[in-house]
Amino acid sequence: MEPLTIGVVGSIALIVLVVLGVRVAFAAALVGILGLVYMRGWPAGIGISGLIPHAETTHYTLSVLPMFILIGYLAFYAGITRGLFDAARKWLARVPGGLAVATIFATAGFAAVSGASTATAAVFARIAIPDMLRFGYDKRLAAACVAAGGTLASLIPPSAILVIYGVIVEESVGRLLVAGFIPGIISAIVYAAAIIIRVKINPEMAPPVTERFTLREKLVASQGFWPILFVVGFVMGGIYLGWMTPTESGACAAGVVLLMAIARRQMGWGDFGKALMETARLTVMIFTIIFALLIFVRFLGFAGIQEAFKGWIVELPLPRFVILLIILAIYFVLGMFMDAIGMLMLTLPVIFPAIVALGYDPIWFGIIVVKLVEICLLTPPVGLNCYVVNGVRPDIPLDQIFRGVWPFVLADLAVIGLFIAIPEIVTFLPNAMLGN
Amino acid sequence: MNVRTSGGPAGEAGPLSRFDAAYSRIENVFAFIAAIAIFFVMGVGIAEVVLRTVFNFSIFGYLDLIELTMAVFAFLSAAYCQRFGTHIRMDLVVSLLKGRVQHVVECIAIVAALVAVAILIKATTDHFLRSYNSGDSTIDATLLVWPSKLMVPIGLSLLWLRLLLNFVGFVRLIAYPDAERVAVPPPPGGGHGGHDEEHA
Repeated sequence: MEPLTIGVVGSIALIVLVVLGVRVAFAAALVGILGLVYMRGWPAGIGISGLIPHAETTHYTLSVLPMFILIGYLAFYAGITRGLFDAARKWLARVPGGLAVATIFATAGFAAVSGASTATAAVFARIAIPDMLRFGYDKRLAAACVAAGGTLASLIPPSAILVIYGVIVEESVGRLLVAGFIPGIISAIVYAAAIIIRVKINPEMAPPVTERFTLREKLVASQGFWPILFVVGFVMGGIYLGWMTPTESGACAAGVVLLMAIARRQMGWGDFGKALMETARLTVMIFTIIFALLIFVRFLGFAGIQEAFKGWIVELPLPRFVILLIILAIYFVLGMFMDAIGMLMLTLPVIFPAIVALGYDPIWFGIIVVKLVEICLLTPPVGLNCYVVNGVRPDIPLDQIFRGVWPFVLADLAVIGLFIAIPEIVTFLPNAMLGN
Repeated sequence: MNVRTSGGPAGEAGPLSRFDAAYSRIENVFAFIAAIAIFFVMGVGIAEVVLRTVFNFSIFGYLDLIELTMAVFAFLSAAYCQRFGTHIRMDLVVSLLKGRVQHVVECIAIVAALVAVAILIKATTDHFLRSYNSGDSTIDATLLVWPSKLMVPIGLSLLWLRLLLNFVGFVRLIAYPDAERVAVPPPPGGGHGGHDEEHA
């Protein structure tokens, strides 16, 4: 059999196994090992497969992942989220759909200490939805804005998925993290605008909040923002000034959050242990899928799949913009059925070389593709964030949440269109801070 | 995931449940070691920044130390993660299936994982042995590499045993589809890895 044919057969086998429900890491490892053994013989195939797990997971760059995950869990157990929502609520209560808008900005704030979308959605489903329902907000709007707000965590640094993207495509993690900042903020503003427009059209969705807060009350509540500003300062400042690696800035930010929790007496030993254990669980999941996928990618490399795909894409008699739109459309459809990390890891090794060959900026594409896969956390049938919100609030049916998120999905697509039309929105900050 | 006990006459799960509970405790210990390793990396990272900034002094072999430690949290809690069903998968098709058919498909998926992890254990053990016999060390601090490489087969072996427990759990469910779920990951759609799961 030709190497390319073996590669195609292996790729189809992987898809079949994944569809059958084999966990992505195990499916990728199995197909990768069998492919390598078939092509290179038992000793060489096993030799390569045995080397990859340790060699590929002990890169210093990857050590930033547990740090970013830890910050999010510590912030959650330290109760930082409550203060954040309270402050946003007091400042934004009088805006149309004020509580929903406050939820969006509070999730954006929490995104600055959390790298995981689902965790952010789970946290705010507990904090924000009860408040919104108490003031007579439409259930669909309340649940959907939490699910959508959760996706901001994947763009606003620290973002685990941007680190994973950087590792797979071998681009600067620091540059990617900085690049996610402005698109994250723009996404939050567009979400807020979508809520305001929706409430203006249909005021019954969010009755005005009659509570009034004095400036003093607002300023006192704003203390909830301080921990977030500290963490943003450490992560962005550390990378910008070049005196900290992303891992070190993550470690310092986690240390700051921990100290705050201790100072406020908000975290006991039990919560601290839980934060560490949950971090260990999420970390090992990401590392397992990374090394397993890299075994599969090595097999694809021997089969020549990436080169063949790149050649085919470049030779297509279509403008590169149309090819980009087709690739993005494929991601949009795939994302309806797959988890963001799994989908990125399965597709990027093949797609990314083609994107670079077409002349697109790797950092810009990273932001676009992460934004796109995050939309897929909202779309049926496997919009994970909607499931998470439904898991926390079983009284809000899943189909209602899915119906409620469409305005946010449209807002996201508009934002992606904006980034495609004006790529400088994405590339400006990393170029300005870290040079071209 | 809670360790559930079952006492129904169909599909008696007593011994399996007890074994699952005992093995869960072992997994917890290794996951705790992984958690400590993460905390260690955090501590060393802070120390490095403080020492470098304040005293213009860098920890000798800092990068080597971090990289060797990473193997601890990259592998030792893999079994713990499998117990909670946190390893990513696409469960759309599985969730559409019901009863015995679903358990059969789940069982096949576990067998695929068992085969993959078994080969990886063999491959990574060989890799560790080569390092142990040659006594290779890191470039900067000349730290021995084999203890770090040993973490891989240890973590994968723990994972393999958890998968074996899952396999037995699913075989039992195939035999008694209505029995309580014991020694298997949460059902499709139940393992999102958020804050929702309780800790065993």
